[in-house]
Amino acid sequence: MYRIILEHILQNRAAIAGLLLLVAVILIAVLGSFYLPGDPWEMANAPMLWPGDDPDSPLGTDIMGRDIATGMVSGAKVSLLVGFASAFISALVGITFGALGGFYRGWVDAFLMRITELFQTVPQFVLAVVLVAVFKPSVVTAVFAIGIVSWPPTARLVRSAFLVLREREFVLAARTLGMSDPRLILTQLLPNALPPVIVISALNIATAILTEASLSFLGLGDPNVMSWGTIIGNGREQVVDAWYICGIPGIAILVVVLAFNLLGEGLNDALNPQLHKR
Amino acid sequence: MNAIIENHLTTNVGAIHQNATQNVPPLLELKRLSKIFTTDAGQVHALSSVDLVLQRGETLGLVGESGCGKSTLARLIMALYPPSAGEILFDGKNIAQSDKAERLARHARLQMVFQDPFSSLNPRQSIGRTLEEPLIVHRRGDKVARKARVSWLLERVGLHLESAWRYPHEFSGGQRQRIGIARALALRPDLIVCDEAVSALDVSIRAQILNLLLDLRAAYGVAYLFISHDLAVVRHMSDRIAVMYLGKVVEQAPSENIWRAPLHPYTQALMSAIPSPHRKSILGNKKRIILQGDLPSPLNPPSGCRFQTRCPYAEARCRAEEPLLQAADKGHTVACHFAIG
Repeated sequence: MYRIILEHILQNRAAIAGLLLLVAVILIAVLGSFYLPGDPWEMANAPMLWPGDDPDSPLGTDIMGRDIATGMVSGAKVSLLVGFASAFISALVGITFGALGGFYRGWVDAFLMRITELFQTVPQFVLAVVLVAVFKPSVVTAVFAIGIVSWPPTARLVRSAFLVLREREFVLAARTLGMSDPRLILTQLLPNALPPVIVISALNIATAILTEASLSFLGLGDPNVMSWGTIIGNGREQVVDAWYICGIPGIAILVVVLAFNLLGEGLNDALNPQLHKR
Repeated sequence: MNAIIENHLTTNVGAIHQNATQNVPPLLELKRLSKIFTTDAGQVHALSSVDLVLQRGETLGLVGESGCGKSTLARLIMALYPPSAGEILFDGKNIAQSDKAERLARHARLQMVFQDPFSSLNPRQSIGRTLEEPLIVHRRGDKVARKARVSWLLERVGLHLESAWRYPHEFSGGQRQRIGIARALALRPDLIVCDEAVSALDVSIRAQILNLLLDLRAAYGVAYLFISHDLAVVRHMSDRIAVMYLGKVVEQAPSENIWRAPLHPYTQALMSAIPSPHRKSILGNKKRIILQGDLPSPLNPPSGCRFQTRCPYAEARCRAEEPLLQAADKGHTVACHFAIG
């Protein structure tokens, strides 16, 4: 089953492109720290060096003389970490709420869905800003804030899948075996509800990276960690004289978000059996 | 021919009699079982006061057209929904009052084969895992013993041993139905409920599956509740047949009695619907009955006899008074004002 899915992913150009871009970003994040071990906050060179001016600072420096290449590597790590961790939290909360609501229905479902709606009616970004501002801004609070605001669509998706699956005959058959509810949910329903969750989680990673960049841009990022949003925020006043300070991390965000969107799209095609025949 | 039927009847009655004298409760007994589903459109009377008895090792066929409550009955017996009224006694014990351990023990003795072979197997589980699952849930044997049991089951239903590593989408409908039967058989149940188990299959595959079920009955003495809308299939399988119409049992008799001398007009209509060159011999001199119209809505069942809206013999009494199941012959009961006498 999973081998077939893998084959479909490898036949999908969008998915391969997304995967390659993602591998490139991961390589930059991992290998970059070996080549550029410096502190991204330290003044490393003359300020406002354009990319290529000095071989020591290949991507130039900002107004404080901080090395942009070092900052980019640090930002890549932050973006990937925040993206994966908050999408994981979002999937965990969303699957739990959706699975319990869809499986038990009745008042359990009503209660869980009202909570879900509560989160859906508050604008996501505003809630994330409030959460980060109330707790101390750090990578951990950013991860939790983004995870907490982005789970409702996953919950709805899992719930609707469970509502359909629970009436399927293989689930009834498992019930007539005397299988316990947790076992029924984990071994029978969840594996069949998972493919769309994988797709939505890939897209959630992209959204999480964007949200983290926005928070850092607003100065709500971790004060000790250089992220792409921080670099853009710091460079915004020189955007006319030195567009590269905002431009380089901007392009990086664009590429990573594009990578996850392409990957999500490709997974969606690969996991959707109706599209296989085309 | 008559002698064979007679013989068949006496052995059956004999078995039932023997049980009664030894005071062994029947394997399955339904007492005034009702199920009402509450929907937005109103209350759906899916089952109304159904009484049925199934003895050990016996096959009871349940026939009726779509929507008459056959599947609801099966799901009530499997405890997938609770009944609205009445009792289900399995081995003399009310299933609604069982504790957790009793419930688990009952699940092992009472299994089901489902209608749709494309929906009844988990698409993300290998066949081996699907067949092992019942043994894991009921803690039967260690890993080696379970694997051996899975191989035995696959062999028993005529599938290759390598099937254990394959997934449901790699099998045909008939093969999947055999896997479904193997799963039901895994715990060696006393009763298997077959809900339209062959309806979704091609005619050529159907005979294969029916013969497998008959083999298993001969080998292990398993009892079947065989639900179908196909009277010919039910006759082939069953010792006794119960005919349902709109949530009620209208006639119940040994298989050959239903076939030879159907008493209820609805049963006669079902007989008329079987395409056969020998119809004359089946129905004797009786006129062929062709039903008009659809099954009335179970949201608002007709007054009096439920069949009166479509019955060719309906009279004023049928609209006013609901007929009760009455004994017409030994082991033959019918719910019609005019069937007896």
